[in-house]
Amino acid sequence: MADTPVSEGHLVLEALAKTYPGKDGAAVRGVDLTVERGRMLAVLGPSGCGKSTTLRMIAGLVEPTAGRIRVDGRDLTDVPVHRRDMGVVFQSYALFPHLDVARNVAFGLEMRGTPKAELRRRVDEALDLVRLGHLAGRRIAQLSGGQQQRVALARALVVKPAVLLLDEPLSNLDAQLRSAMRDEIVRIQRETGVTTVFVTHDQQEALSMADGVAVMNQGRIEQTGTPEDIYERPERPFVARFVGRANLLDGTVSGVEADTVAVALPGLGTVRAAGGPVTAGAATTVMLRPHRIALTGAAPGSGAVRGTVLSAGYAGETVAYRVRVGDAGPVLDVERPTGAHASYGPGAEVELSWDPDAPRLVAAEEGTE
Amino acid sequence: MTAAPGTAPEADPKATPEAATAPVRDSPERPARRRGPARQALVLLVPGLLALLLTYALPLVWVVRMSLNESGEGGLIRQTVSLATFGEVLGSSHYGNVIRQTVELGVLVTFFTLVVSYPVALFLARTTSRWRGLLMALAIAPLLISSVARTFGWMAILGRQGVVNKTLDGLGLIDAPLHLANNLTGVVIASTEIYMPFAILAMISGFGRLDPALEHAAASLGAPRRTVFRRIVLPLTLPGVLTAGLLVFVLSLSGYVTPRLIGGGRVFVLATEIYDEAITSLDWPVAAVLSMLLLALFGVVIAVYLWAQRALEARFTGAQEARS
Repeated sequence: MADTPVSEGHLVLEALAKTYPGKDGAAVRGVDLTVERGRMLAVLGPSGCGKSTTLRMIAGLVEPTAGRIRVDGRDLTDVPVHRRDMGVVFQSYALFPHLDVARNVAFGLEMRGTPKAELRRRVDEALDLVRLGHLAGRRIAQLSGGQQQRVALARALVVKPAVLLLDEPLSNLDAQLRSAMRDEIVRIQRETGVTTVFVTHDQQEALSMADGVAVMNQGRIEQTGTPEDIYERPERPFVARFVGRANLLDGTVSGVEADTVAVALPGLGTVRAAGGPVTAGAATTVMLRPHRIALTGAAPGSGAVRGTVLSAGYAGETVAYRVRVGDAGPVLDVERPTGAHASYGPGAEVELSWDPDAPRLVAAEEGTE
Repeated sequence: MTAAPGTAPEADPKATPEAATAPVRDSPERPARRRGPARQALVLLVPGLLALLLTYALPLVWVVRMSLNESGEGGLIRQTVSLATFGEVLGSSHYGNVIRQTVELGVLVTFFTLVVSYPVALFLARTTSRWRGLLMALAIAPLLISSVARTFGWMAILGRQGVVNKTLDGLGLIDAPLHLANNLTGVVIASTEIYMPFAILAMISGFGRLDPALEHAAASLGAPRRTVFRRIVLPLTLPGVLTAGLLVFVLSLSGYVTPRLIGGGRVFVLATEIYDEAITSLDWPVAAVLSMLLLALFGVVIAVYLWAQRALEARFTGAQEARS
């Protein structure tokens, strides 16, 4: 691994690991990641999965126990924080309370000994980029959360960092501001073209903002891919469950064809699912997204999958049903849009159906869980 | 505090819940109820105000009055109203020296106390060690021992035959014992240690704005450790240092035990001088005038502190508003 020649990616992590002394288990257990120049990668995972530690290792704030960090092929693993040239936006923004907006933004340029005239020009540019030019003289405590977030972005970007690192950038904002800032961060990233890594536990954020998503769990990367890959083609049950809602059904591979696999699911019969590769007879798991399942009133005698509604939860745009298949089959989550479809109350007999491409194979999880 | 008929409804605890839940029916009761909390607060304040009046305000008035008297022959006090004693004290070179030495001691002790306490306080404020609680307790544990006992301890350490001189002599590093006690040096050394716990406590509570993320942010923007300290940590901890400085300076201005015992009768400060004039010479007018001067000194110190605090706060404008 260490002998890999100059890699394609702009930012490359190789088997990055961190073990904290006195704690059992590693926080990060060998992360390999490549981010291409100008791309935005989201590291998505539950709290405690090691995503923040990974980000801090890239920033140089946490020393890795093992592995390498490269930018443009240059090994930065042993370069101290202040010479790493990373722009970091902290979860709490970490703006300097004793400096005004302009001086917060100027800090990094001052550290680089930028001449005064250029410094002023670049601070203005950075503040214009985040649309805060009119607040240059404000004190930090006079700013709203969203404005502080923009100052933090301007401060990190003004030095033209090699990589921009964002730690849970939207978690301190309220819901409305969050979606506005989401678009704003994407716009700023596009405009500057800076290679960006951000860490989040919010799948919506990761899917809607990033070019690529790395799903992390228990210190490892479970899957890396485009947002669509992650959502439509999860390779592991954890990814299917963490990104969006999913029905996961354990079964046995009964037949393998060109593009589909037949899986025998107890209580549901044989279901054709895409994905693989698997061999006949192997244990596997099939994923069915709740919104891909359609419900219709039960027609006597049809060969479709039948079930009984256990509960129906109205949620505005959708109704979330729990449906038991057959008499003692699995219970499936089903999500139907309200309005256009008939609704069913608990106890209603229904038929379940789905498009042939809805079921996906997710390889059986290794190890525990 | 006898309950007047008019105040009885408020004083009756049973009346309160009823009034809180049910709408008030008879309107005459309303204005009385609105005044209720203010009146109750006043009642609660009375014991404290009385105690302050008896133990602080009245004696102070008495000291002011005494400072306007003159001392006659043989310890007699001439009742009069004049500034003659003030003139006498302020005109004398002896008392001038006492005031100068008091301020000098205060400045030296404050400076050294802040210098040695700052790293300890900074460490305690920033550490995430699980021993933090224990270390904190250790840092302020000296407060459990009377400052008299600690001063005697310093006499044993600093004296001619003390630990320091014996050790240095044993190592052959000195020919004659160092003069560490019975002079200003000894008082400064002992006072510094004695006031450290106060300074550490005051600093830690004043370091609230220090957030490790700020240091990380500065470092990620290219600041080496020393610059992070100079540009971020120091400015943010300055308010705490200022408060600790005020506390130590005031404590040391009024300090009596340490200058008396370690000074060995050679260090004259206002506190020891007031004691001598009042108890030994029985010259109460002079003691009263010296007390007034000490009080004036406190006034100056607090004025300087408030000015410095405002100057510091001006750099955080808005920070106050946001917190309140």
